[in-house]
Amino acid sequence: MLDKFFNPQSVAIIGATPREGKVGRVILENFKKRYKGKIYPVNPKYEEVLGLKCYKSVKDIPDEVDLVIIVVPAPIVPKVLEDAGEKGVKVAIIISGGFRETGTEEGEKLEKQVIEISKKYGIRVIGPNCLGIYDNWSGVDTFFLPDEKMMRPRKGYISFISQSGAFASALLDWMALKGIGVSRAVSYGNKIDVDDIDLIEYFGEDDKTKLIIMYLEGLKPGRGRLFIEKAKKVVQQKPIIIYKAGKTARGSVAAASHTAALAGNYELYKAAIKQAGLIEAESFDEIMDLSKILLSQPLMKGDRVYVVTDAGGVGVMLTDALTMQGFTLPRTPDDLKKELREILPPHCIVENPIDLTGDADDKRYIDVLEKLLPRDDVDAVVVVALPQIPGLKGELFDYMVEAKTKYSKPMIVIMIGSHEAEKYGKFLEEKGIPVFESPERAARALKALYAYSLIRGVVSRK
Amino acid sequence: MNVKTIIENAIKEGRRKLLEHEAFEVIRAYGIPAPETGLAKTPEEAAELADKIGYPVVLKIVSPDISHKSDVGGVILNVNSKEEAVEAFNKIQENVKTKAPGARIVGILVQKMAPKGLEVIIGGLRDNIFGPVVMFGIGGIFVEVLRDVSFRIAPLSEEDAIEMMKEIKASKLLEGYRGQPPVDKKSLAKIILGVARLLEANPEIESIDLNPVMAYPDKAIVVDARVILRLK
Repeated sequence: MLDKFFNPQSVAIIGATPREGKVGRVILENFKKRYKGKIYPVNPKYEEVLGLKCYKSVKDIPDEVDLVIIVVPAPIVPKVLEDAGEKGVKVAIIISGGFRETGTEEGEKLEKQVIEISKKYGIRVIGPNCLGIYDNWSGVDTFFLPDEKMMRPRKGYISFISQSGAFASALLDWMALKGIGVSRAVSYGNKIDVDDIDLIEYFGEDDKTKLIIMYLEGLKPGRGRLFIEKAKKVVQQKPIIIYKAGKTARGSVAAASHTAALAGNYELYKAAIKQAGLIEAESFDEIMDLSKILLSQPLMKGDRVYVVTDAGGVGVMLTDALTMQGFTLPRTPDDLKKELREILPPHCIVENPIDLTGDADDKRYIDVLEKLLPRDDVDAVVVVALPQIPGLKGELFDYMVEAKTKYSKPMIVIMIGSHEAEKYGKFLEEKGIPVFESPERAARALKALYAYSLIRGVVSRK
Repeated sequence: MNVKTIIENAIKEGRRKLLEHEAFEVIRAYGIPAPETGLAKTPEEAAELADKIGYPVVLKIVSPDISHKSDVGGVILNVNSKEEAVEAFNKIQENVKTKAPGARIVGILVQKMAPKGLEVIIGGLRDNIFGPVVMFGIGGIFVEVLRDVSFRIAPLSEEDAIEMMKEIKASKLLEGYRGQPPVDKKSLAKIILGVARLLEANPEIESIDLNPVMAYPDKAIVVDARVILRLK
């Protein structure tokens, strides 16, 4: 059922208009640019809009309509939704605001009417008061922000669900800039019908989605338990990263018990996140850090992390950061030590973190990684490659791209610097090797990969 | 009396909080260990009950109008004989009369005194979004200051309950600290699961505090129980 939202054969845009800068125009332009199905503008004021025949009512459209997009003022929404119902339309995105979110009696009343009509005709609704859907595969794009203001990201496999429309559009714009691929994005606004549970289920089964990001302020009353149940199933297929906004206390409601006084909103969400097996991003930076590692890296079979570095200091920083995330860096086993001693100059340190020192070159890294990556007692490798040293000329990074396919072992890079770092970093990330600018962020991301590996039950050794 | 009747009566009488002996009876019905108790209406009854239960005992005021019993001198610990029981009964009546004049007195609870163990808090409440949830933490008077507690949404497994205990910052205390033996986590888990079931089965209950629960190496027992109802 939800598929009609994302892959409709035909859409009607109710409130389409030729007037510059209006929501009804931007959305129509979006569809004209990228959507391949049939488009029907609806507006009683026009015979034609942007070269397309315009209809007075959705009921006048001589063809079936899969999806209606409603952008008319709130007081008219019930009427046009009723028309859509009579026409037999099954899914609607209501972009218009002016409902419960206004806190007015009028808004509340209109929202109730809309709910009743949607139930009466069995119409599934996204919204109202939302940006709706951005679908990179089908071209459904109700984000009413023109291309000049919000860049559209390239096609990819991240889908996201956002309770905030503004956050969704900012994220899309930012991901476009960073070259991060996006599959589908939904801003559901007041969520009178389609909510987080419906969407994670849909994305869970969607083969164009490999990772789900959720920006959540709150679930609907009574939906918490079902959310946990459904999410538990989805995360066995693909990771869900959640950013929970509104973390501060529920306020000073006089509580009748200690339990009630301690059960802040966020505390309960934290429990739910854990029980559902979601990965929590604690900051905006983390949303992207965790996404890139979870999207590109194989799961970890254990917690044994090895570090290969050309900078002793960053090796120590990373050891601290990994330890703070609960990892214990294993000591290099004797057989490996012996092997490394044979290939490394005497001033290099073979104990984990393995320090190749400032006179390292590509070959030295490659030789060591060739020993490390095939080993069963190595669960992940962090390569610290500060590109300021003269010996790093790029061969290492070509090697890593090959090694990623050859060994399919989690491998991430820390790179700090200017042009060189940026150039190599971009190269690696395009090839699916995540690069981090700080040991702390790398450690946190690796921890998320390990946490997700535990959730998926692939960790054989804890 | 069974659980439903206890709850119905309280609601009928407009009491949001179950009286302590009622609360004990309710939790016992869900397999949660509570100390042996009896409600005394007279000093003589208190003495008899104390004798029957075995010393030491605690005497506590039971009143729908008193929420913090200790603050009004409504609790006397370490009562070790019949004579002391009579004395304690009279003393509590006197204290309550001066410090909480007009409070209705249902009686005085005689309760087997639990030996010192590790004090933990186990709680539960009904949340608008998640439904029944349970809480675990280190108990005592600082619980709201330290906020060292963990939560789970019901239903949960024994494994989840054990994990809740590992999650708190002070979890090392449960493993035995400075020569103390570790406490019985399975018994604590059983109480946590009992609280979850109690909330699931009785939609009239809004929240539960079991504080403290005394945890020992081989068992755990609830010392104080607070059950809050949702009045329509």
